[in-house]
Amino acid sequence: MAGYSTRVRKDIARWAEAGFIDAATAGLLARDVEENERRSLSFGSILAMMAALLFGAAILIFVAANWEAFPRIARVAMLFAIILGGYVGGAVLKTQRRAAVGEALWIVAAAAFGGSIALIGQMYHLSGDEASAMVTWGAGTALAALALRSSPLTVAAVGIADAWLVLSLVGSFDIFRSLDIPQFFAAASLLLFGLSFWTRSQPARHLIILSLIFYTATLAVDHNTIAVAAALAAVSAGAFAVAVLAPEPVDKILQLGGRLPLHALIGFLTGMAMIQFERIDGGGFAVAAAVTLAGIAASIVLAGRDSRGLRWLAYAGFGLELCLIYAVTMETMLGTAGFFLAAAVILSVLAIAVIRIEKRMNKAPSGKGAAA
Amino acid sequence: MMTGKRLIVSALLLALVQIGFLSWIIAGRAAILRNGTEVLLKVVTVAPRDLLRGDFIYLSSDISRIPVKLIANIPAGQNASHDGPIAVRLKKDADGYWRAVAAWLDKAPAAAGADEVDIVGYIAAGRNLSSDPDATVSPDYGIERFYLPEGEGMAIQNDMRVRPFGIRAAIAKDGTAQIKALMDGDKTLFTEPLY
Repeated sequence: MAGYSTRVRKDIARWAEAGFIDAATAGLLARDVEENERRSLSFGSILAMMAALLFGAAILIFVAANWEAFPRIARVAMLFAIILGGYVGGAVLKTQRRAAVGEALWIVAAAAFGGSIALIGQMYHLSGDEASAMVTWGAGTALAALALRSSPLTVAAVGIADAWLVLSLVGSFDIFRSLDIPQFFAAASLLLFGLSFWTRSQPARHLIILSLIFYTATLAVDHNTIAVAAALAAVSAGAFAVAVLAPEPVDKILQLGGRLPLHALIGFLTGMAMIQFERIDGGGFAVAAAVTLAGIAASIVLAGRDSRGLRWLAYAGFGLELCLIYAVTMETMLGTAGFFLAAAVILSVLAIAVIRIEKRMNKAPSGKGAAA
Repeated sequence: MMTGKRLIVSALLLALVQIGFLSWIIAGRAAILRNGTEVLLKVVTVAPRDLLRGDFIYLSSDISRIPVKLIANIPAGQNASHDGPIAVRLKKDADGYWRAVAAWLDKAPAAAGADEVDIVGYIAAGRNLSSDPDATVSPDYGIERFYLPEGEGMAIQNDMRVRPFGIRAAIAKDGTAQIKALMDGDKTLFTEPLY
């Protein structure tokens, strides 16, 4: 993280100036920070992955163009060659310690597999929409991730599953009918979540959790909004509590880099927002709004210290919530004013209490902190 | 980290499995084209685009709507369809086009006659099967789309509005259908090679 290393370098300079560490140590520390930063962030591998995605998109749109200058058998042969060359070539490169390019080739091969499915559908005029072809493509990509133990391929499989979910939703969209929500998505997500541990793919796990929140939101829209949304908010709040109370065991199991509270807050805010939209004209809006504000405040107090992302999300959620309450107006403007006043007073009291506690805590362990 | 040799072997196996899977689909489709019974169906259409496979025309043929009264084996009292297959028996008419003469939910009770062929489609749950004389069901046969080179869909669609088009389809023994050619009256517009 660039932000972290910049801050540490400033701190090192300050410590050296204050005489806590000598110039040689300061130099050593600064060099160590720099080296670690380079290792964690490789622009080369990011660019390689972007190039692979562009290649993949080129393959897919080439197939869709159905260009007659190439006989179709030549197109099939070309795609098969890319599949074979991509997987095997990528594996060879990976063993030669050129992992970034190797993984990128695997992505190209997975795209060629998807392109082949589309091409066969086109050659034989197979009916059925894009969504059904994507299930096969996603399964093939997940198989590739399993066989090659590849994190990018796992993320790609999750991405294809997401695209499939969106296409199925769009394809079945009809104002007069309920949505045809593919329940299979939940099962596929669980399988991919399991796969992500074998492929050590933390990004895939993040993406899966966010996708599941989106999936639950569509379920809520389609079914009984209040019940599903309330369940989403409650489960998220529970996950948040567990993640804050026992951060180490939870992260040992889920391996989310300590970001479970962030996901939980997103889930909580999504669920609460849906409840409030559903209840805009009915009773219970004030209660839902109060619970949301309380949840946001609690999340900052409990987990805001360790996560900048969570703080920003909480601030954004707070701002949106404020706008929502202001716009909806409970019963009367006077009523809304009263709600804001009450919320402001409660938050002020809380703020004073928290500031007191923080001061006392800072005073008590300060001796211990310096000794450690 | 997997050892080098094992990783390369895994990659090779993976590529062969995926290519094998794709080849298997191609071989199955080519077999239908080669061995299936050929029928001619009259079609009408509209032309949209698919994100993965490009331009296509929707084909709605004479057999896309089957009158419920043709279905011989609806159990007494069943007013709505279940999700499942439907066998439709086709027979060649005097004008050369094949049309539905009978249909059965699930499976046909006996093999088709010499000048007939059975095509298998799927109907969704909840379709009206009541004795209403105008009631129809719309089976999916898997031959509802015809993919075209980019940009050629609109022209064909416009022509189809003014004169009859048809498709020649091959139907396998198990009832799976596969489009063989798109016909503009008697003229063949596109013939599908086996591969």
